[in-house]
Amino acid sequence: MKKSILALASAFVFAFTANAQQVEFEEYDLSNGMHVILHQDTSAPVVVTSVMYHVGAKDEQPGRTGMAHFFEHLLFEGTKNIKKGEWFKLVSSNGGRNNANTTDDRTYYYEIFPSNKLELGLWMESERLLHPIIGQDGVDTQNEVVKEEKRLRVDNQPYSKFLEYVKENIFKKHPYKGTTIGKMEDLDAATLEEFLAFNKKYYVPNNATLVVAGDIDKAATKKMIEDYFGPIPKGEEIVRNFPKEDLITEAMNAKGYDANIQIPAIMAAYRTPSMKTRDSRVLDMISSYLSSGRSSVLYKKLVDEKKMALQAGAINASQEDYGTYILFGLPQGDTKLMDIIAEVDEEIVKMQNELISEKDFQKLQNQFENNFVNSNSSVEGIANSLARYNVLYGDTNLINSEIEIFRSITREEIKEVAKKYLNPNQRLLLEYLPKAK
Amino acid sequence: MKTKIASLIALFIATVTINAQIDRSKMPAPGPDPVVKLGKPIKFTLKNGLKVILVENHKLPRVSANLTIDNKPYLEGDIAGVSSMMGSLLGRGTTSISKDEFNEKIDFYGANVSFFSSGAFASSLTKYFPEILGLMADGMQNPVFSKEEFDKEVQVTKDGLKSNEKSVTAAARRVENVLTYGRNHPFGEFTSKESVEKITLQEVENNYNTYYKPNNAYLVIEGDINPKEAKALVKELFSGWQRGDIPEYTMPEANNPTATEINFVNMDNAVQSEIAIINNIDLTLGDKDYYAALLANNILGGGGTARLFMNLREDKGYTYGSYSSLRQNRYAGSFRATASVRNMVTDSSVVELQKEINKIRYKKVSAEELENSKEQYIGGFVMDVQKPRTVANFALNIERYNLPEDFYENYIKNIKAVTLDDVQNAAIKYFRGDKARIVITGKGIDVLTNLEKTDYAIKYFDKEGNPAVKPPMTLPIPEGMTAETVVNKYIEAIGGEEKVAAIKTTMIVSNATIQGTPLVMTTKSSVPNKSLQEISVMGNVMQKTVFNGETGYQSARGQKMDMPQAQIDEAKATLVPFSDMAYKKGTLDRIEPIEGVNYYVVKFNSTEVFYDMKTGLKAKEVKTVKTPDGKEVKVPTTFGDYKAVNDVLFPYSVGLKTGPMDLNFEVKEIKVNEGVTDADFE
Repeated sequence: MKKSILALASAFVFAFTANAQQVEFEEYDLSNGMHVILHQDTSAPVVVTSVMYHVGAKDEQPGRTGMAHFFEHLLFEGTKNIKKGEWFKLVSSNGGRNNANTTDDRTYYYEIFPSNKLELGLWMESERLLHPIIGQDGVDTQNEVVKEEKRLRVDNQPYSKFLEYVKENIFKKHPYKGTTIGKMEDLDAATLEEFLAFNKKYYVPNNATLVVAGDIDKAATKKMIEDYFGPIPKGEEIVRNFPKEDLITEAMNAKGYDANIQIPAIMAAYRTPSMKTRDSRVLDMISSYLSSGRSSVLYKKLVDEKKMALQAGAINASQEDYGTYILFGLPQGDTKLMDIIAEVDEEIVKMQNELISEKDFQKLQNQFENNFVNSNSSVEGIANSLARYNVLYGDTNLINSEIEIFRSITREEIKEVAKKYLNPNQRLLLEYLPKAK
Repeated sequence: MKTKIASLIALFIATVTINAQIDRSKMPAPGPDPVVKLGKPIKFTLKNGLKVILVENHKLPRVSANLTIDNKPYLEGDIAGVSSMMGSLLGRGTTSISKDEFNEKIDFYGANVSFFSSGAFASSLTKYFPEILGLMADGMQNPVFSKEEFDKEVQVTKDGLKSNEKSVTAAARRVENVLTYGRNHPFGEFTSKESVEKITLQEVENNYNTYYKPNNAYLVIEGDINPKEAKALVKELFSGWQRGDIPEYTMPEANNPTATEINFVNMDNAVQSEIAIINNIDLTLGDKDYYAALLANNILGGGGTARLFMNLREDKGYTYGSYSSLRQNRYAGSFRATASVRNMVTDSSVVELQKEINKIRYKKVSAEELENSKEQYIGGFVMDVQKPRTVANFALNIERYNLPEDFYENYIKNIKAVTLDDVQNAAIKYFRGDKARIVITGKGIDVLTNLEKTDYAIKYFDKEGNPAVKPPMTLPIPEGMTAETVVNKYIEAIGGEEKVAAIKTTMIVSNATIQGTPLVMTTKSSVPNKSLQEISVMGNVMQKTVFNGETGYQSARGQKMDMPQAQIDEAKATLVPFSDMAYKKGTLDRIEPIEGVNYYVVKFNSTEVFYDMKTGLKAKEVKTVKTPDGKEVKVPTTFGDYKAVNDVLFPYSVGLKTGPMDLNFEVKEIKVNEGVTDADFE
């Protein structure tokens, strides 16, 4: 009896390894609550050390938009054992690369080193968590740097303000109503004390997931992790209690302006459920159906055949608590914005009343399989996905199993979800216009 | 038994405590260097000249194909954009398959196929690759250029240009290239509305028939392949691609200016200035000093630890990032040092960028900097070398640049061999701080005043790189704004008409120092239009001016002098205690930005009054006076630090500049409606 079970188990293992897309990993908690995920890949002498903190722009206090991202900048300023200005130098002079990024939901820091520098990466990340040095001079410099980042990426770039207009209309209560980069006046108002409090509350091991991925020896790595992260004291439990949004039942209309554009754009934005839901994944498929590739519905109709739009598409901006589903178009020639919307609506209504064709459905399946293979093509990408699935979805193995959810979505569900969320009385119509002189 | 367990536990605890004593204060030492294995690609050449590189890697079930047609660049002239339009029109149907079917097939397999003027790209899961590569080969070799698709592409290109018309970064890159290489250079020309309108379908076809040829082409296939099968597939699909005669073209020389100059491009919507310090260089991959140049650039501006970043971002906070780059090129290379900075620090950023460029030219870098920089390159090399894409790129570079086969095997050795002298020599040779163009694209009205104070001559250009004139330095006045509305806004800002009208008399005592001597100024005023000003040093009245609404006098050191008629007229025209009431009769002259703040400027007789557009408060009065020798001199008085007295804001800091003297008065006391009698003005 025992034997046959074993044989079955080994058959399973074989099946998994034969499937090249399977990402093997091991995960556990340290006693201070820090979650650890290890992924071994010996194909290149590279190691990624990364930490994802479950804190983002949505955790900011009112009137302090941009705080989470600003704080991310401050965590490069130095630690008790790494002098101010040394962080980047430590990384590059050891042949590594590093960066960080912040979203509304989480903040992610990472280093990529040649594999013999694993311990260095762990040391740096543990230093950052244990005792960063955050001072007024750092706040002052990074305040200017972050404002330059906003000017560079938002204020001086065409079509980059639309998300701000969409969010402030789609969300009335939930902190998703602000932008991640924040407002200039909020950035200026943030004080050192507030940053220190932010650090104390959110930058604790029980709010963090450490990923080590690459050419590693697992036993030695575990020991190093215990050495560097084990002694870091646990923080207080974080209670999250974000306000719930009321259903949108009446169409909203708004206008937004951008001094950097000549050609306007129209957007239809709908509030959708959390990215963790099955419906959100169905919406991902709907986006693909509408706008992925030259044979997709919106591209083919609006850009190619009717020549009404310069660009047309759908974005499912899915987030932890809610999503925002945005259909957009830039008019070609003299096309009116509302004419584009009428065409888009016609396609939505079709989806709501008829099943998409078997062939289009198979196309979607093929596209998602292709995306799945490509999503795990680099060790940096794998590390990020492991952390994201753990922190935001609460299920690390989604890195392997999320494709199963997509595979199980039916044509009927696509129809139902289109019916449930994509109705004119549930949306914002945003006219995105050149700023009048 | 028990003791054994206990000792085991003790042993365990002991290890734990030993473990806990890692020394955090020191950077951990690295493990032994990882072994670097260079991948070997398979290479072969087809009879038509197409060189093929195969890189086998089975990590994921996918394959990609990358075609590069490596022709020498050529000038497209008045039909600039023709080759890129030709590239966009590939893949829109072939002699055997319609456009819709073609697109449908690619999307159905979840694959990617794209075409461009100098190549093509395809990728898919392994199982669909033969068919996908077939589509790419067909699209390249048997394209149909239809009138309908052509007309559509012309429209899309024009709309695309329009959508970028106000983009500061797009304009900056365009003009930078025009100025660096010249308008009649393949790297300097650009697609414009005019050039698109001149392109014909025939010209697109000519471009394809002339340049889209296998003579100088490389096809790299990488991923989950069986080399034998891949080779057979390539032969089948690409052997029929016909060679052609590619015309000779001699590229014009790109020249640096004889002395460093500023080239300014005005964009009124800019919130940041795009600064690029550029000079042409002659540097090609594999040159003797290639690695030294690479390291010199890396130390100057290669990333988040380089000098430019540390100075302009981490120290000064001028920018999100400042970098430099060396563009190696067989035909025309360039060096660039760049930063996108907020308008107000444009001039300072230019100064700092130039300072860093000159520093690395005239002073050797430190041994530590060089060592760190080498490690950075070596680390990157070690990490990337086993990626299939890197293996493919290395093989492609060896072919394209005619490099020795062991070029990349010697990479680490060659990096390590670079000396401090080599770095300095490369910096002197390639970073021409003395013969560079400083191309700045930004908002002239905000930045030019200070740029004019730098050492460089400024030349002006429009968004297409044509010579232009200096942009106007004032803003248009909004409709409905007049001197009266500006003054009303000011009255509103300091407390409102009612509160202001309730103020009948004021007494203001303020202190300043003049050449170390403390000075007290007392001014009193009373409606209607009576005023007194007294300046005393250590209790002695040095100077006094009195005006009773009709006549007045001045006394200095006991000498009393009646007010001349001109001064009486002037005093009569103003209305104390709030002279601004009289300015309503002036004219709103302009809106002038100064140091990032916009001011309404009201002209009243010989005085210009500056009101902050945002706050409404008065910031400055500039009076033009004639000196005894007939010269006109501007005498500015500045107002700041507004605080409320009786609900009305008064400036607590007043600056006065006359000739070389700078007087900064700090208000000590303000009394409203008390302490002033009519006798004061006798």
